[in-house]
This record gives sequence, structure tokens and C-alpha cells, in this order.
Amino acid sequence: MHDEQTGSWWQQITGAAIQGGLKGQKLTEVPSDEVSFGVWKRENPNGRVMRPDPKILAEDKYDPEDWESQVGKMRVTTSATLDNRLEPRAIVVGLTVGGQSKAYAFSAIEKQSPVLDFVGGKDIVLLLGDDKRSVRAFERDLDGKKLEFFIKPDTNEIVDAETGSVWDFSGKAVSGELTGKQLTKVQVIKDYWFDWKTYHPDAQLFGAGSR
Amino acid sequence: MKLGYKSAWFLLLAIVAVVATMVAVPVWLIQPFAPQTPRSVEISYFLRSWSPIATVILAIAALATAVVIWRGSRRWFGKAALVFPLLIVGVFTWFAFQNHFEWMFNPLGEARFARVTEADFLADKDMVLAVNVNGDAVAFPVRLMAYHHIAQDVVGGTPITATY
Repeated sequence: MHDEQTGSWWQQITGAAIQGGLKGQKLTEVPSDEVSFGVWKRENPNGRVMRPDPKILAEDKYDPEDWESQVGKMRVTTSATLDNRLEPRAIVVGLTVGGQSKAYAFSAIEKQSPVLDFVGGKDIVLLLGDDKRSVRAFERDLDGKKLEFFIKPDTNEIVDAETGSVWDFSGKAVSGELTGKQLTKVQVIKDYWFDWKTYHPDAQLFGAGSR
Repeated sequence: MKLGYKSAWFLLLAIVAVVATMVAVPVWLIQPFAPQTPRSVEISYFLRSWSPIATVILAIAALATAVVIWRGSRRWFGKAALVFPLLIVGVFTWFAFQNHFEWMFNPLGEARFARVTEADFLADKDMVLAVNVNGDAVAFPVRLMAYHHIAQDVVGGTPITATY
């Protein structure tokens, strides 16, 4: 993308200017969340949603419902060497903690949520939302105590082993001893494996024994 | 300096080649869905920055050369053949001033928003890209972002750009 003020070119994934007068500068990243509308509106009933552009909508130029699966079939060409531990267009959830980047295959999170891990010196947990599409990550050290999470089979609730408190998808304890406590969020990004790997060449891959 | 008829034709074709290369190379290097290297981005940026002014200068030179050819040519088809190189130079010069990516992606300069209850254009399972600055919660539907790629807004007092 380019800016109209200086004509500099910006790299979308990093927010850094790579050519032009502002080369070397970096935009401040605003923490963001990629979740389903259902999850989002439950948490933000007073939020606002970007509307489709009526002109583009009338011309029927927006991508079809199934655009994701269509892009998923496209050929991948990169200047970097492919890392064949996953298919290039496998969807991964990537995060960086304490300078260490790590990718988690979406399929692995689907199977194992909550995923407990240790990255860049921090204990973290990845959660799959009840929509089975949204993924969030949190630090699981709370007031100097490390929490282990699991899904209670009978109720499908996220519970910590230490106190038995129940946690929701926003990382907040909603019942039990820790009610009201909030875990610190870790920024995640959903990406194709080849793309994540291009920008994070040193990234570890969850479950690949790369620790 | 006197420009001969043959050398005038040679010069004109050389200008066509330079103009076409200058405009076409960045388009070819910066293709969507294809990888770029820092070097190819650097070359493209250089050409994109200079091509508007350079193509105009070369287009004027092409016109001047064409006048020489016109005067020097005795047969009608020598004059008629001038149409092609001039047309090519003209089209590429025009293209140097276009941002063809905006034809494809249509960035949203001024996004418009709906309340949650009015958002009948979204299903619960549709993904959104969400931010929350100072309590101002905003969702950018991913399917719309997959088309526009860029949307801008002021969220909680902070001007932001959302990109996908």
C-alpha cells in the first residue's frame, strides 16, 4: 500500500515503509482480533460494523461467500524456500512472544484446544471459540501463578486445574474462585503457512518438535 | 544537428521501447499473488516514481521525431505508419499516471458504519477484523476487506488503517 502524502510504499503485514521518503519508519500496530461476527457482537453489543460500499455491492464485485476456499486452491509462488512441514496454504495462527515467533496449524488447535504452550519465556494458552473459527491466545500466568486449562467434558466449559474456575473466550474468569480475573491477551494473526514463514523465517511450528 | 530520416525512425522506435519498458516492468514485478524481493520492489518504486515525468518528456521527444519523419517522408504510408509508435507512447504515458491497483482493489477512503442491530449484511459465522480503542469497538468484515484491502477510520480518537 502507498500513502498519498509522501508516496512511500508500506508493507501490509509489518506496517513498515519499505520504499520512499518514509522508508524505515513503522506504523504503530493497533491490537486487533479476527473473530466471527457472532462472537464479536456478543462482546460488543454497542460496537459499529463497516458497511459494504453500496456501489461495489450493486456491481456485485465483492468476493463470493466461498472466496476463502477458492483462494485456498491457488498456486503458491514465493521467493523463500518453502517449509514443507505443512501445506503452503495451510491456515496457521501465528504469534510472537518475547521475540520468539511460533505458528500453530489451525487444524491442531481445532483438535487440541485449549493448547497449552511455553513461548519466548511465557506460558500461554490458545483457545478456539465456540464458533469453531475464532482463535485467541492469552498468557496463563496470573498473579505469579501458572494456570493449566482444560475443557470440562460434561459442560464444555474452559476450566483451570488449579482453582476450578470457569473462563470464557475473552480470557475472563466468569465463575469460581478467580471470578473477574482477566488473562493478558497475546496478539495472534491468522495467515497461510507460506506467508507467515516468509515473514518469520525463524518461527517454530507447534507440534513439530522444533523447540 | 540534422536528423536523417532513417535515424529519426530508429530514435522513435527506441523511445517506444524505453517508455514501454519503464511502465511495464513495475507492473510485471509487482503482480498480486506473486512473490517480490526487496530488489524488485526497489526497482519498481524507482520506475514508478520517475515514469510520470520521464514518459511525458519522452512523449514530447517522440512527437518532435515524428515531425521530422513526417517532413522527410515522400510516401503516404511512411506518414501513416507514425500512428502506431505514437499511439503506443501515448497509452503508456497515460498508464504511468494511473494506479492500476486501485482499479482492482478499490481502497475505502471513507468507510461507513452500521450499529450491530442494523448489520443485516453479516451472518454470525462471518469473520470480522475487530479493534477496540478507548472503548470504541469497530468490526471490519473480512469479506469486504478481501475486496478493498484497505479501510480507514478514526477509532476512539486514533486514526487507523485496517488492511487485509
